[in-house]
Amino acid sequence: EEEEDDIDFSDLHEQFEVQMEEGLDAFVVVDGLPVVTEENKPKLVKFLTKRLNEVGRAKADQIFMPIDEATGKSQGYAFVEYETADQATAACKQLSGIALDKKHTIYINKLTDIERYGREGRIDEQYTPPPKEEYVQQEHFRWWLSDINARDQFIMYRGDNVGVFWNKKKDTPEQIVDRLMWTEMFVKWSPLGTFLTSMHPQGVQLWGGQSWKRIQRFYHPYVNMVEYSPKENYLVSWSNRPISLPDGPHPLGPEEEGKNFLVWDLKTGTLLRSFANLEVRGEEEGKRKVQWPVFKWSADEKYLARIRPGQAIEVYEVPGMGLLGKKSVKIEGVVDFEWAPETVKLAGRKDTEQLLAYWTPEMENQSARVGIMAIPSKTVVRTRNLFNVSDCKLHWQSEGKHLCVKVDRHTKTKKSTFTNLEFFRVTEKEIPVELLELKETVINFAWEPKGDRFVIITQQEVPAGVQVGAAPKTSVSFYGPEIKKGSVGNFKLIKTIDKKNSNAIYWSPKGRFVLVGTVSSQQFFDLDFWDLDFDGEKKDQPTDVAANLQLMNTAEHFGVTDVEWDPTGRYVATSASMWKHTMENGYHLWDFKGTLLREEHIDRFKQFLWRPRPPTMLSKEQQKQVRKNLREYSRVFDEEDLYETETANKEVIEARKRALQEWTAWRQRTEKQLREERVA
Amino acid sequence: MRPIILNGHERALTQIKFNRDGDLLFSTAKDHVVCAWFSANGERLGTYHGHQGALWTVDIDPTSTILATGAADNTIRLWEVRTGRLLKTWDFPTAVKRVEFNEDGNLLLAVTEQRMGYLGTVVAFNINSDVDGPQEDEPIFKITFDESKATVAAWSYLTKFIVTAHEDGSVATWDAKDGSFIQRVQAHEQDMLITDMQMAADRTYFITACRDKTAKVIDVNTLQVLKTYVTDTPLNTAAITPLKEFVVLGGGQAASEVTTTSQRQGKFEARFYHKIFEEEIGRVKGHFGPLNTIAVHPAGTGYASGGEDGYVRIHFFDKAYFDFK
Amino acid sequence: KEHQEALARRQLIEQRKTSAEEAIIKKEREEQQQRMQRQQEIAEAEAKRLAEQQKQRELARMKAEQERIRKEELQKQLDELKSTGKLDVDLTDLSDMDAARLRQMKLQQLEKEKKELAEKLRITGKRVDHLERAYRREEVKLLPKDYEQ
Repeated sequence: EEEEDDIDFSDLHEQFEVQMEEGLDAFVVVDGLPVVTEENKPKLVKFLTKRLNEVGRAKADQIFMPIDEATGKSQGYAFVEYETADQATAACKQLSGIALDKKHTIYINKLTDIERYGREGRIDEQYTPPPKEEYVQQEHFRWWLSDINARDQFIMYRGDNVGVFWNKKKDTPEQIVDRLMWTEMFVKWSPLGTFLTSMHPQGVQLWGGQSWKRIQRFYHPYVNMVEYSPKENYLVSWSNRPISLPDGPHPLGPEEEGKNFLVWDLKTGTLLRSFANLEVRGEEEGKRKVQWPVFKWSADEKYLARIRPGQAIEVYEVPGMGLLGKKSVKIEGVVDFEWAPETVKLAGRKDTEQLLAYWTPEMENQSARVGIMAIPSKTVVRTRNLFNVSDCKLHWQSEGKHLCVKVDRHTKTKKSTFTNLEFFRVTEKEIPVELLELKETVINFAWEPKGDRFVIITQQEVPAGVQVGAAPKTSVSFYGPEIKKGSVGNFKLIKTIDKKNSNAIYWSPKGRFVLVGTVSSQQFFDLDFWDLDFDGEKKDQPTDVAANLQLMNTAEHFGVTDVEWDPTGRYVATSASMWKHTMENGYHLWDFKGTLLREEHIDRFKQFLWRPRPPTMLSKEQQKQVRKNLREYSRVFDEEDLYETETANKEVIEARKRALQEWTAWRQRTEKQLREERVA
Repeated sequence: MRPIILNGHERALTQIKFNRDGDLLFSTAKDHVVCAWFSANGERLGTYHGHQGALWTVDIDPTSTILATGAADNTIRLWEVRTGRLLKTWDFPTAVKRVEFNEDGNLLLAVTEQRMGYLGTVVAFNINSDVDGPQEDEPIFKITFDESKATVAAWSYLTKFIVTAHEDGSVATWDAKDGSFIQRVQAHEQDMLITDMQMAADRTYFITACRDKTAKVIDVNTLQVLKTYVTDTPLNTAAITPLKEFVVLGGGQAASEVTTTSQRQGKFEARFYHKIFEEEIGRVKGHFGPLNTIAVHPAGTGYASGGEDGYVRIHFFDKAYFDFK
Repeated sequence: KEHQEALARRQLIEQRKTSAEEAIIKKEREEQQQRMQRQQEIAEAEAKRLAEQQKQRELARMKAEQERIRKEELQKQLDELKSTGKLDVDLTDLSDMDAARLRQMKLQQLEKEKKELAEKLRITGKRVDHLERAYRREEVKLLPKDYEQ
């Protein structure tokens, strides 16, 4: 049983419960009123009614202001009944805390809340800060992994409701929980799917377990963003507004004043350290938007780093949060860096370190440069010089085996730009680099997860000032490594598809399948579903590249703004979020082949997020065993599926039969009555 | 199912009605003309001129002798169907939104609009079936709504009740003899306007169409909601088909209510639902704007729809429809 | 009187002579005209014949050209069909092939390809789903142990 021992408004769990209570939920208690005589009461009631009706309808005769018999005066409070519970809620939110006159500020609470707080002597005259909540794992946080039908969950945020659902393919999703005002900005899953994150003006809350209770909360006024560490042990929260410590009790210390970032230990809820925003250099001001995340976690969660643009990378040790080696890593001109997403073992080295890649632009008598650095030793294990560089993007392959540096270059005259892709084979000896030169600019690049193939979208450069209007056509190209006697060779083009409008690449999290589409465009909404290992028909394909490309389907989703694969790579959800536009908001659910399973138009649809899954608990050997025996599993599943469809069909038929019987019975009754009345 | 398209109105359609035999179709629109059509081929039989404002409603008596119309010029008018002769004009302080004859054709009800200083009402008149005889000037009773105005109203079987449907999503019944209140039920979502109400053939139950995107079948006696049809668009109209256990719904977001005028978003289709199973069966496309009114042929062999686009489309069902189980 | 008669006769003779001459000239002229007309007709007929011949030749040439193009096109499409898949019929003689039949063949081919693709994808889909479910079924057994940790 959860203790309800706080007066934090963000305690939505309670609010939710309150809504369940019937009857009294349209009543509010108005406190802080002037004390008046019986005589003056009607005047006050009239005045109050006017204010109260700003958010709803409450009639004067529905305002009950008790008079103390001893004094003959009112007691500074009144009970009010609104027409609906919603209006009462609105009154609490919008009218509570407003000044009635110079001396009186009114406070409005729902009667049901007062009951709740007031019961069992829970209200203390003095505020005592809540005792620190101990982290007790009472229920299995991974309960959702045990679904016997191997279904996955997703969250939908639409209107003011946040709901979690089981994916039922083409059938209506099965609702697990749905709460009004669960979040006040957006929702986010933790990287392994354990926690649901809600964002409030007061801070961040984490929810989970089968009861969806609150597991942790982090006080951070006006928080804007959060970033989890990869194994969910830490959390960074950020607010654009520097923290200004409130007068009342709060969990922050004086050193947090003026800070923007708070680094938390997720399990204990303790604050590890706070940081202020770095001052942006004058020349960049306004030009660059906030690049999120600012603080980036190493794969092993031992380091947290951020860039001091143009000067250094600051690497902090977790959980002590001290600067690694007591000083930042000075790199003149550094623009950006990325951690390797997994811990990589370098060839010819015994120890493993965390790797980070960074780049510096061209500076006086020095060319642009990409570097890979090992942490904690801070040794630079590889650098490469680059020329005529406009911009660089660092793309790590999901296992850290490859680093692709997308280098946007310009000709000497700076009149036209084109892209080079520089591939660093991180796990090979000396880290060889392979160069892929392109004539066009690459507008999007994506590695196949856990694989070594990639997709790029290129765009012919438009000579400046030539055209306005429609965006130029794009080309989609698939690349894979050449296979030479079992060893991995250079990257080779598999296929290019020209005259596309594509701008986005979404790989299945398991690799092999990829969706290439046009997202957040005004004119185009196409979605191409590709298979890179299509079975059979190998003869038309270049035999030397490990790929057999097949377009499985082409579809459209009008107004699509977001695309999300389920964590198993079996389904894709595309959605049109009201945060981007208000046309046909809702979602479409597809299978990986591009077959539309379901579409729902939902007003004020905001987010669709699949619940991530932790890495499999099965060993490589166990997985192999399963694959070997797949035929037997398959037989069982086929039977189960058949049984399910049959029962489902049966249920539909039964339901219809019932409906028909009920209707017929009602008709007979009604017709009989009609006959009798007609005679009478 | 090739439709017959009636192109005689210049403005959005407001109501269409078949006569009891189904050979005639009457239509009213925001232009000032009432049209009568042969339903079989879409030829125009005639027009009824005289109203000075947008027409909101039309009904035809069971013998196809007298036509009643209500309009934004604050009048109800009675017409001789055959000649187009104006028989009677009743004046009101506000617009007339709905007229309906009872099943015997000897009574007419009308819903009047709520406007500054005037509450919404339902009035009932005696109707003299003799076209050359006089019509009474005063209504037999008047129901006044001080809470939520009625948007539409209808007579029940045996002229037992008047059923009213309201702006706030509720429906109510009143004694058809004196207009006394019987009961009220919040059938639809709170504060969602009910746009249409049509009786089943025997007037023992009716269907409502509502802005809350649902239509409901409701028992006249108990006002119990028997069936609910959930759609994805605000509904303007709903009708019950005789012969087959279907209902036909129509609606769509008006261009002015949509942030962008995407035709795709309009959903300007007539939707067929199974009346008993509440499942969608099919849609009929065709209109360029929201569907404002649907009428089903009394023999159940077809239906007509009138749209915001100014067209009336008459459809006669093909074999597949009658074969559908 | 006699003189007058003689005079008259001479005059008559003279007249007859002239009229005879005139008749001859007229006849000659007519004959000339007829000859010319005949010649003209012959020339016209010849021109017409030539034109007709030319037209026929042109038509034949066009037809041949069309046939050639058609065959070429057919051949091209057939080659395309052959190259994309397994075309069962062997067609060397294209004369009895028409566009409609080819189109039908093409449609059949497309239909077949579509079916094959769908079937292959169905199998892939089943495999992807079943593999995930099989993994999960094994994984569920490990969950209680995970909880203890």
